[in-house]
Amino acid sequence: MPKSQYVDPSKAFDSGYIHFEDIPVCQYNKTLTEEKKIYTKADFLRIYRDMAIIREFETMLNEVKVKSEYNGVKYNNPGPAHLSIGQEASAVGEAYCLDINDFSFGSHRSHGEILAKGLSSIEKLNDEELYAIMKEFLDGTVLNVVEKHMNAGGNVKELAINFLLYGALAEIFARKTGFNRGLGGSMHAFFIPFGLMPNNAIVGASAPIALGAALYKRSNGKPGIVISNCGDGATGRGPVLESLNFASMDQITKLWGMDGKYSDGGMPILFNVFNNHYGMGGQTRGETMGFDMVARLGAGFNPSQMHAERVNGYDPLAVIDAVSRKKKLLLEGKGPALLDVVTYRVSGHSPSDSSTYRTQEEIEAWKNADPIVAFKNKLIKGKLATENDFAVMHEQITARMTEIMKLAINDEISPRMDLNKEPDAIASIMFSNQKVVSMEPERKPEMLMPKEECPRVKEIKGKVRTATDKDGKPVSKMKMYNVCDGLFEPIIDKFYDDPTLIAYGEDNRDWGGAFGVYKKMTEAVPYHRFFNSPISESAIVGSAVGYAMCGGRAIVELMYADFIGCAGDEIFNQMAKWQAMSAGILKMPIVLRVSVGSKYGAQHSQDWTAITSHIPGLKVVFPVTPTDAKGLMTSALDGTDPVVFFESQRVYGFGEEFVKEGVPEGKFSIEFGEPDIKRAGKDVTILTIGATLYRAMNAAKTLEEKYGISAEIIDARSLVPFNYDKVIESVKKTGKIVIVGDACERASMMKDMAANITEFCFDYLDAPPVALGSRNWITPAFELEKSFFPFEDAIIDCIHEKLIPLNGHVPTHNFSDIEKVERAKKGL
Amino acid sequence: MAQVVIMPRQGQSVESCVITEWKKKVGDKVEEKDVLFSYETDKSSFDELSTVSGTLLAIFHEEGDDVECLLPVCVIGNEGEDISALVPKKEEAAAPAPEAPKEEVKTEEKAPAPEAAATGSAVSTEGRIKISPRARHLAERTDADISRAVPTGPNGRIIERDINTLLDKGWTNADKPVEVAPAAAPAAAAAPALEEYTDVKLPNIRKVIAKSMHASLSNMAQLTLNSSFDATAIMAFRAQVKDNAEKLGLNNITINDIVLYAVSRTILSFKDLNAHYLDDKDVMRYFNTVNLGIAVDTERGLLVPTVFGAEKMSLNELSSEAKSVIKAAQSGSIAPDKLKGASFTVTNLGAMGIESFTPVINPPQTGILGVDAVTYRVKPDGSTYPAMGLSLTFDHRALDGAPAAKFLKALCDNLTNFNLLLAK
Repeated sequence: MPKSQYVDPSKAFDSGYIHFEDIPVCQYNKTLTEEKKIYTKADFLRIYRDMAIIREFETMLNEVKVKSEYNGVKYNNPGPAHLSIGQEASAVGEAYCLDINDFSFGSHRSHGEILAKGLSSIEKLNDEELYAIMKEFLDGTVLNVVEKHMNAGGNVKELAINFLLYGALAEIFARKTGFNRGLGGSMHAFFIPFGLMPNNAIVGASAPIALGAALYKRSNGKPGIVISNCGDGATGRGPVLESLNFASMDQITKLWGMDGKYSDGGMPILFNVFNNHYGMGGQTRGETMGFDMVARLGAGFNPSQMHAERVNGYDPLAVIDAVSRKKKLLLEGKGPALLDVVTYRVSGHSPSDSSTYRTQEEIEAWKNADPIVAFKNKLIKGKLATENDFAVMHEQITARMTEIMKLAINDEISPRMDLNKEPDAIASIMFSNQKVVSMEPERKPEMLMPKEECPRVKEIKGKVRTATDKDGKPVSKMKMYNVCDGLFEPIIDKFYDDPTLIAYGEDNRDWGGAFGVYKKMTEAVPYHRFFNSPISESAIVGSAVGYAMCGGRAIVELMYADFIGCAGDEIFNQMAKWQAMSAGILKMPIVLRVSVGSKYGAQHSQDWTAITSHIPGLKVVFPVTPTDAKGLMTSALDGTDPVVFFESQRVYGFGEEFVKEGVPEGKFSIEFGEPDIKRAGKDVTILTIGATLYRAMNAAKTLEEKYGISAEIIDARSLVPFNYDKVIESVKKTGKIVIVGDACERASMMKDMAANITEFCFDYLDAPPVALGSRNWITPAFELEKSFFPFEDAIIDCIHEKLIPLNGHVPTHNFSDIEKVERAKKGL
Repeated sequence: MAQVVIMPRQGQSVESCVITEWKKKVGDKVEEKDVLFSYETDKSSFDELSTVSGTLLAIFHEEGDDVECLLPVCVIGNEGEDISALVPKKEEAAAPAPEAPKEEVKTEEKAPAPEAAATGSAVSTEGRIKISPRARHLAERTDADISRAVPTGPNGRIIERDINTLLDKGWTNADKPVEVAPAAAPAAAAAPALEEYTDVKLPNIRKVIAKSMHASLSNMAQLTLNSSFDATAIMAFRAQVKDNAEKLGLNNITINDIVLYAVSRTILSFKDLNAHYLDDKDVMRYFNTVNLGIAVDTERGLLVPTVFGAEKMSLNELSSEAKSVIKAAQSGSIAPDKLKGASFTVTNLGAMGIESFTPVINPPQTGILGVDAVTYRVKPDGSTYPAMGLSLTFDHRALDGAPAAKFLKALCDNLTNFNLLLAK
């Protein structure tokens, strides 16, 4: 909603037609003679070799799967093997055009893509670069195996091919010597130094991640393009469609240039669809989709129709032709682009596929059209090689593959992770736990004005940093430094400290964020670092993942915590898991801001701390005071781990009530995991999560004044990680604890903490720790919320009924065991 | 702030207590530790000491009232203070302590650990004491007497503050109050002499004895065997001890001590009589030690203190232990655990010239020995000898007549040849 673009009612209803350009369908028709002007004999033969290597690699995996034996070597591989036999020409054709600055993100059927991109990179790198990359990677772990046990004849490129095949296979067989220490596996093998980025076991999940990588290149002026590979089946997925749109949005070319100040180039991304006709067994063309041809999708996303084209994926030269043209467009700033590469998967979806959805006749016909055989015949016919040359090449490939396989299944040379000897091997890579102020310290951040001139910075300077003035009177709302300011300060500081920091989400820019955290930030931060995203939660979070993978830092926002569900896979499977799945190679500096609402009913008021805390690999915090907001946001932005940063709409306008000196000025951080004692007491402990802190403070007042009970209040602040020391100490003192939060009580963090505290403090307990959350209902309207969320009266009743009966207190809630058992029985 | 004094709960099974005497009246100045009133349970008598200083502002119950435990009894505060909020409503004062905490009775003793109304007994139906781990640890550390704790936690659980209340009162295991166990009463307990007649409300202890005796006689299969023995030897022995007591540092060993000693040495061979018949469990509990109950007449009524492990004591030791517990029973200072646990009881009406009687068993014991007066009998040769009577009541459910008679005979033999018994 930029003001610069007027929405004119007199034009909004103009009549006319939408015109489409023709979308080319398999228009490539160059002859070999023509192609000989482009490719040398060696190029042709290398294209063939790469296809043959991929075919043999997958044939080996297939044999191991179905016969537990390859070329006389026995092995059993229980892991997945999603093969792409038949698709080699598409993979090799695409990779041929790419160098290591071009990042390729794979589908879940990606062995071919990995090997093709790897082989292409090996060819393009010089020997020194190549050797240095291998030597450095995982401290030479992979290189050592192939250098020691295989003879590459002193040829670095041959050594590198051994390295690539062995690293990928060891990864597939879950060996510690694999590219990701065996933690990624078949569907997640990748090798970043070759621009060979992660693949994904979730169909279509690479699209938003690749989008994020393109965003990284686009916003930071990095060289190269990004390929987002997926199958035709994946085009049915929301995140893929969201990404096609996100990459195509107008602002990139219309607003981001800011009148010539910055680049107005489009998103440098090619969405490459390996259209093998099936999504598992579902036939996309004719059954599960309606596009007839994938290329048609391009016409739906922008006027340039994403330069969409359909290509013959069985001809590597046709693919090279198309991809190199698209790459050129992207480098010229005309992205994004879309390719529909027609191919066929002769192998099943997986070894368990009995091809019930297609006929043998169909499979045979495609086998007869085998792209490798066809290309061989073409080269023989073109007198570029003889049948014998190919026979020799095949012999070498088979011998190499056998040797690689023997190495990869040798438990001494290629051991698996030993979690008995190294019980913390996985634990130690769940988080990177680093503190990195700038992801690219050598570069100057692009900003529109010096920090001091930023209107919001100036505004905050004049604010009172406490909730009450010297005389104890409340400071006026306009003058008071509030939680929004506490969030804003470290964010704006980070924009000036880290050139890679980027912030986006729905209504972030001109609106200032739906709740005003980014108010008046628009004036200071250029578009390409701070923009409104489409309403595409998957693409928002998924792109942040890709952005971070490439070395950037992102802070993205989902407005309401309830929208976490819209970005479920991106938060739970992508953002959370890539650090560990990459064996710690990738970092994930993402802050995902989510806000817990109130007054907005069932789909806009949920505290989902439990859901996010449940997922290993995410850090989760929930500050509710200006000081805590500032301190934790500073830590989140300095860190290298993915953080789900909960905020509460109940308290955005609250000032600092707990720190007498007010919110600290300048850089100020609070370590993750440290709860804070907000009120000292001795009779009962109240541990609060989120905005319930303020209700607990009221309850504590009543407890003290009316019942002579002194409550100690601890604000959890962080949920993951969480240091129980202070809580244990408090419970040792009081013997009683109630844990309060706004999340629905069942399976909540309050329950989790109650269970832990019972274990940690059993001998000190005077009553079982009690979790007090919201009812296991939908959130009702604001007027009814007192019956739903835990308020002061419920906290007191809970203490009275479960911990320590209060003299003369008449409870209005029923927290009896009988009632709770009944509720559980009914699923309530 | 005015303090409400509640009727304490003296032990887990006590539901109410009777105020026997007010030591203060409304308007009196009260110092900390002053006795406010005396009260008794069905087993014991107590004095309630004030925990605060001030003026006695109100009394809610009169002497003789049976007051539910934990209900307010009086209020101490500053003169002229408004105590209207503390005055219990009629129903509250009369009704039993409510079960649900939400219907709590307003009782404040001492902030911030008010002795809130109990929500039930801390003993669950399975017989476990419900107590929080924290409270248990505190009680263990401080030796607080959990049996007197008033559970104020949820679901009738004893929580930390309840132990603190005990400690405030100094109620540790080492300092148990006098507790009077219902005891065997001689059937011939004297009936009061009647002049016209006066109705006297039965004291609690009388009611308990009445109930217990009636239960004993109606539930058991009791019968009494009478016998006698030649007391020449024990009388001579006693005279000998008496002459030499000072010189040898011996106690004044009485005939009763001698009988106790003989019982302690004889009864282990007759395990059915040194036992408890646990009717409800269908179990006979045989004791491997002899815990002798001694029936003692006190001002308040009959008490039966116990000498534990009598079979291990010398005659002199047994004598001094018996004297000590009898004295404690008579003065009311006996520890409650010494008023229970007997495996067999001896009662003595001989001093009052009773020649034969039918003692009543104190359940779940299986027997009681009555010691009768000495009479003189004629031997076949015409000479006389002092014969002391013994009346053994036993529970025919636990044992038959023959073994009971065998015990009595063995006992008589041992007493007749007391010197030989001592030599054993």
